[in-house]
Amino acid sequence: MKNTLNQFVLSFSRINKTHLQFALMLIALVMLVLGAGAPEDVGGSGR
Amino acid sequence: MILLSAVIAGTVTGWGYARWKGRTWHPPIFRSVWLVFLGFLPQLAAIYMPLTRRMLSDEFASTGLIVSQLFLLAFTLINFKIPGMALLSLGLGLNLAVIMLNGGFMPLPLETAEKFVDSRTLGGLEVGERIDSSSKDILLPESEIILPWLADRFVSPNWLSYRFAFSTGDVFVAAGAFWMLSGLQPAHSGEK
Repeated sequence: MKNTLNQFVLSFSRINKTHLQFALMLIALVMLVLGAGAPEDVGGSGR
Repeated sequence: MILLSAVIAGTVTGWGYARWKGRTWHPPIFRSVWLVFLGFLPQLAAIYMPLTRRMLSDEFASTGLIVSQLFLLAFTLINFKIPGMALLSLGLGLNLAVIMLNGGFMPLPLETAEKFVDSRTLGGLEVGERIDSSSKDILLPESEIILPWLADRFVSPNWLSYRFAFSTGDVFVAAGAFWMLSGLQPAHSGEK
């Protein structure tokens, strides 16, 4: 029982770490791309 | 928005490709990621946040834009070995160069603006003026732009209802982000 609980906690923490790492990477990349680029879309739907 | 679509497309492609190949998708692992968060702050305040951008002057916005892109460039150079980062770095460098050489904002040629900005909006703008407080662009005649081929001189195709202008640098930035996320490179090549 204790072993199963330990395994669950371990796998849960792994998933969390992976998800957090992915979210952080994605947020950083979105910021990087938005900050690096300079497109202009003021025209909206165009003329 | 157009740059975000490259991130979304890259994520979907990378995840789908890994699934199709039956292996785990490994997104890139960045070093010194704090540089991105710190570097993006001036742009967040001066361009993206409606509440703060109206309070800040164009001078602050242009200085903030340049400082911000210098931080981001440092980040791309630190992570240069990650697949796709070289392209992204090149795009950022090109955008930064043309911004710095043209008064601190990305030049939008008048001739390009006429193709996609409605005439009423365009009529309310003066040459040399920033498009609006949420924009990184200033309106300039092409003859007055330094390195005009790096400016926002390309326009999305007519068949797209969403019209926008973009630069050579933007193409490299989008391509780099897509390449980085798509996982179309050899496995583990981007990992520490």
